[in-house]
Amino acid sequence: MGLRAKILIGFLILSSMLLIAGVWSIHELSTIGTSVQKLLDDNYRSINAAKMMMEALEREDSATLLLLLGNWEEGRKIMNDADTLFQKGLQIAENNITEPDEAAFVELIRSKYSVYEELLKKPIVGTNKEGNIRWYFQGIHTAFLDVRNSVEKLMALNDQAMYETASDLKSRASRAIMPGIVAIVVAVFFSLMFSYLVNYYVVGPIIRITRGIEDFGKSGKPFDVRVETNDEIEELASAVYSLSSKVRMAEKVK
Amino acid sequence: MRPQIVLRYVAFVFLLNAAFLLISAVISGFNSDEAFFPLFYSFLVTGLFAVFPLIFVPPAVEISNKEGLIIVITSWFFSCLVGVMPYVLWGGEFTFTNAWFESVSGYTTTGSSILTNVEALPLGLLFWRSATHWIGGIGIIIFVLAILPPMGVSRIILYRAEMSNQALHNFRLRAGRAVQILLSVYVGLTVLETLALLLCGMNLFDAVTHSFATVATGGFSPKNASIAYYQNLSVEIVVMIFMVLSGMHFGLLFAVIAGKVHDLWRSPVVRYYLLALGAGIIMTTIIVHGGHVRSWTEALRYSAFQIVSIGTSTGFATTDSSVWPALAQLLLIFFTLQCACAGSTSGGIKVDRIVIFAKSILRNIKQIQHPRAVMATKMGEVKLDDATVHFSILFISLYIGIVFISALLLAALGVDALSAFSGSAATMGNVGPGLGTVGSVSNFAHIPSLGKWILTATMLLGRLEIYGLIIFFMAETWR
Repeated sequence: MGLRAKILIGFLILSSMLLIAGVWSIHELSTIGTSVQKLLDDNYRSINAAKMMMEALEREDSATLLLLLGNWEEGRKIMNDADTLFQKGLQIAENNITEPDEAAFVELIRSKYSVYEELLKKPIVGTNKEGNIRWYFQGIHTAFLDVRNSVEKLMALNDQAMYETASDLKSRASRAIMPGIVAIVVAVFFSLMFSYLVNYYVVGPIIRITRGIEDFGKSGKPFDVRVETNDEIEELASAVYSLSSKVRMAEKVK
Repeated sequence: MRPQIVLRYVAFVFLLNAAFLLISAVISGFNSDEAFFPLFYSFLVTGLFAVFPLIFVPPAVEISNKEGLIIVITSWFFSCLVGVMPYVLWGGEFTFTNAWFESVSGYTTTGSSILTNVEALPLGLLFWRSATHWIGGIGIIIFVLAILPPMGVSRIILYRAEMSNQALHNFRLRAGRAVQILLSVYVGLTVLETLALLLCGMNLFDAVTHSFATVATGGFSPKNASIAYYQNLSVEIVVMIFMVLSGMHFGLLFAVIAGKVHDLWRSPVVRYYLLALGAGIIMTTIIVHGGHVRSWTEALRYSAFQIVSIGTSTGFATTDSSVWPALAQLLLIFFTLQCACAGSTSGGIKVDRIVIFAKSILRNIKQIQHPRAVMATKMGEVKLDDATVHFSILFISLYIGIVFISALLLAALGVDALSAFSGSAATMGNVGPGLGTVGSVSNFAHIPSLGKWILTATMLLGRLEIYGLIIFFMAETWR
């Protein structure tokens, strides 16, 4: 193989290693981008919906207490607003089923909430329930806790999934960096090997040929430089050798 | 020393590794798992590193003994580095230290692991992990010698540098013929075991990876529970048979295949090897029966598998031997130190040296009784010279000394005494599992990073039979 081809191959190898590492890093980084989007779309939206439902439930509970105290107008207003907020959160959760078992959790919330809602619809103010704390704790508060627990389960499911996606992101970030690090280390090793081989098989023989020619020119010492590189340098040494032989022959003839 | 010649020969080793990386990448591609890029990139880098010196450096017919030694040691070192690449590129549990530990453990056929969940790895990476066992099992250079065209003196020098001194002593054949025999027995055993495991109901992937690990006496399993995962007696029997065979001198196995069955029984080393395993199994069965294991058949089943697994330096497990009584654990430590025959893929002190050691003690006792008698240590019909006997005794002393030093260093890092000693012995003997926190159902993940580096050094020392690695680091070698 020719010298030009050898050197070209060396540089091609070096650049291809860096190029592939670069392409791979870009691929991994774009995957990270997709994972971040997935994290936001799949889990963060469901967690927000769950938070919305929790907030609504707390307000409904406060409204129930207001109704128990006989404050009908304010209690009902808060209750209606909170119900709208809860329905909104539930709808978001229903439209964002992304994890296994998530549909079952949402269905559980719906069924538990319908029980709670049924209890809330019945009049409190002006009935025997007004001021009845025992009724609150034994009836409505239990239903409230049931809904709250089912919403917490949905939130926990998405929290766990979010944690797993984040762990995967950490692993992907490492995978995006590693090709670069490996490519740098490999490139350093390869450059050292390349420069050693170029020095040994190109620079070294050229220096020896030069010294051989100088010795031949100065003192007439026969040119005897052996080069075994199977390329242009070997051809050069061979050409100089035959030239020096011809010169010596010509001198002998003189 | 001519570095360019070393580079050219190491390039062949890179090519061999690149071929297995490509196979692993193809498996990964077929399974569409995430290890494809780490494996394929590692293949490209390794392949390019291999091609370049082969283009630049013209072939050399002759190499010196020093160059032979350096080629062998650097081949092991660079192979271990190549092994690190797919692991670090994959990430997960693999920090650089962990990846180096797993890679060295693979190539040296130790089988100790830092992985807490092996089954979480993609199939391609699991195949690569087992392939490192198979490449390292017979000796990286032996593989290369089989692939390379005839190289005259170079082949002999490389063969001598790679093979254990004791195996060389037993293998009185021409290098080329010996390499052919070694490789044909190695490949033959692997194919036979794969077929046998398939017949036992194992799937192809598991059969191949377990065969790689058994014949190389490695111990990496693609399952967290190792062989215990299958709860299949026929699988355990097949694995046990092939562990015993892989622990025998490959030249003797070849002779048996060639019809010379008597050669096997005439060998005092094989006789002792089989007797020791048999005695170990009977004693362990008696010891463990009645404690954690209630029935005699179960005691025999677990004892036989564990003793054969440790006594051949494989390291597979079917039960947690770290809960066995102390006497059974001491027996396991004895087998961890002794291991199997020279000329096999096994590690450890090796049965041959134990036999020489015992015979030299007997000779010394007789010499004391009969001071004027002229006596020689004999191995079967072969008379051993004093240098061989002294070398064996020195090797055993040095071996145990290194195990103690390694155990002391681990203890200084906070590892408990049992885990430190058994872990050091298990890595030095290329066995794999130790006792305590590094037992058959545990792993080495919790060992401090410095401890992992110490253990990888003992793995390499054990695999390269101490002297090779020591000579490599002596300044005179590099002059």
